[in-house]
Amino acid sequence: MFEYLRNPRTVAVVGASPDSKKIGNAVLDNLVKSGFSGHIYPVNPSYNEIMGLKCYPSLDHLERGLDLVVIALPARKAIEFLDQCVRNVARFVVIIAGGFSETGEEGRMLEEQIKVKIGGSQTRVIGPNTVGLLFPHSGLNTALTPSDRLYYPGKGNIGFVSQSGALGLLVMDSITEHGLGVSGFVNIGNRADVTEVELLSMFAEDPNTKSIVLYLESIADGEEFFARAMEISMKKPIVVLKTGRSTEAARAASLHTGAMATDDRVLDGILKQSGVIRAYDEVELMDYGKALAYQVPPRGDRIAVVTTAGGVGVVTTDLLTTSRDGIKMRMATFSESEKADLKAHVLPIASVNNPIDLTADGSTDAYESILKILTASDGVDGIIAYALPQTPKIDMDIVSALKQAAEKKPLVAGVIGYRLATKILMELERAKVPAFPSVRRTTDAMKALYRYGLYKRRLESAS
Amino acid sequence: MHPDAFISDTIVIAEHDAKNLLAKAGIKVPRGIETREFPAEIELTFPVALKVSDPRILHKTDVGGVKLNLGKAELENEFTAMKKKFPDSSFLIEEMQPHGVEFIVGVVKDPTFGHVIMLGAGGIYTELYHDVTFRKVPINLAEASEMIKDIKSGIFCDGFRGIQVNCNALKELLVSISNITVEAKQDILSMDLNPVIVTKEDAVVADAKISVKLEGDSHLKLQK
Repeated sequence: MFEYLRNPRTVAVVGASPDSKKIGNAVLDNLVKSGFSGHIYPVNPSYNEIMGLKCYPSLDHLERGLDLVVIALPARKAIEFLDQCVRNVARFVVIIAGGFSETGEEGRMLEEQIKVKIGGSQTRVIGPNTVGLLFPHSGLNTALTPSDRLYYPGKGNIGFVSQSGALGLLVMDSITEHGLGVSGFVNIGNRADVTEVELLSMFAEDPNTKSIVLYLESIADGEEFFARAMEISMKKPIVVLKTGRSTEAARAASLHTGAMATDDRVLDGILKQSGVIRAYDEVELMDYGKALAYQVPPRGDRIAVVTTAGGVGVVTTDLLTTSRDGIKMRMATFSESEKADLKAHVLPIASVNNPIDLTADGSTDAYESILKILTASDGVDGIIAYALPQTPKIDMDIVSALKQAAEKKPLVAGVIGYRLATKILMELERAKVPAFPSVRRTTDAMKALYRYGLYKRRLESAS
Repeated sequence: MHPDAFISDTIVIAEHDAKNLLAKAGIKVPRGIETREFPAEIELTFPVALKVSDPRILHKTDVGGVKLNLGKAELENEFTAMKKKFPDSSFLIEEMQPHGVEFIVGVVKDPTFGHVIMLGAGGIYTELYHDVTFRKVPINLAEASEMIKDIKSGIFCDGFRGIQVNCNALKELLVSISNITVEAKQDILSMDLNPVIVTKEDAVVADAKISVKLEGDSHLKLQK
């Protein structure tokens, strides 16, 4: 069923308009420009044609069983229109309008009507109060913001579910900076019908999706979420950013346990138990999603660090080996024969203790040789390699050197700087090597990979 | 079960009943006797603890319902005094436990996720450090191990400043409590085992508070 949501053959845009001030205009425009190859049907009784597409007065004039209907009408009209959708057996309906439960009691009553109207039918509703969907692999973009304000990511491997529309759009705009893509984005909005768990399952089934990231303000059904997340995270990593951490709501406070059981503490345990990686802001959410989409977790905690800047190596060592959220890693130690091998590729002044500092003399060739030694070493579980633009002998071939190593052993790359660094980051992204623009983000990504490995092994041994 | 124990739809189980329930599930509790009158013969190793065991009295220490480290003569005096204070209550006389690391093990019903089990630093440290971690029940031994690693007090399992305790016993206790909770799923609203005293040898529940939801005769099921 949900494959029709991520890869619909037919899409109707209700409230489509040639007026660029109307949401129905932006939605249709995004859909047309995103290269959707299925049939697009603008629906609006006032027009015969919009953007060169034949416009229809109602769904009754179209084939039955449309895969997707996007309703860009105000709240009450959208609810009225839902009858047409049910009557014509539409599979998925996106209700963009706000003005429902988020506004108070009257809106909540209106939202109740969604459930009543689709009750017993095959029609499923996304929203209301949603900015829409994005499925780049299907060329589907139903977002409501014009593309001259925000960029939309291209084809990628991260499935993104967001309870917030605007934050979702802004995060997607941000990740286009270095060319990170998504396999899909769904803003669940007020979640009147389709829930985050169903979308989690959808992305779990989707072959383009390698990791799933969720921004959640609440969880619709805790027990169901827990059970599905535990099942899915054995196969695909899940990252969650959940708000409400500061709420100190305690319960049954006559006993100590009740007084200690704040929402956040309980959630923290639930996420660990179900193998879900926790992110604490939107940057971590996508960073961890990226690392987990591109790399398998390291088997242990011994990390080799390669750098051409001593300071970068030292900061990496500090961050890697100190605890963050209970996870710290160790610097790998090399055998004497490995050290001798490493020595052959560096200046005499360079260090072959971990971190390996190639100094400003470091070259792409030296990286390649050193990474070969590290990927072959039994004492190394994972590699952090920096591709730093200040080093003259480092060229763009560093990307393929890192890529080759990343195929043999879990590797996370760090790139620091601006102009050339941005180019390197973009090339690494194209090669699907997880790369990050700061030491902190690089080490945190490695820790997220390691954490996932710990969770996954525990889940697998229990099943 | 005392009729006055009913607080809306919640029943608090008296400490001796709670401990019997735990003991039946194979969980270690101090050797002790429950009595209303001072017993003629006491086959316990002194020193002992004397506690009022009454579902109406949730926080015994606050009302002077707990006396620790009593010798034989002291016990009789304290019993008489406590009996005067709580004429309608039952009392527990228990062997004092050897020193160990104190943990709290608890259960609470979370509105989103259902029953969750908690492990934390016990005794007075629970509320001081908030060093606690939760899991949804049921849990297995691997999850119990992770709970211990989650909290700072878990360091005593690896040894710290010459103190090392038997954390296998603590893990098994966590799993047993989880099983009790699952098997009596409709019933347990919250549970405080505090302190659970963990030594080199074993883990003993020194104090237990359990509250259950009143649903017909469901509390009877729990006590079977």
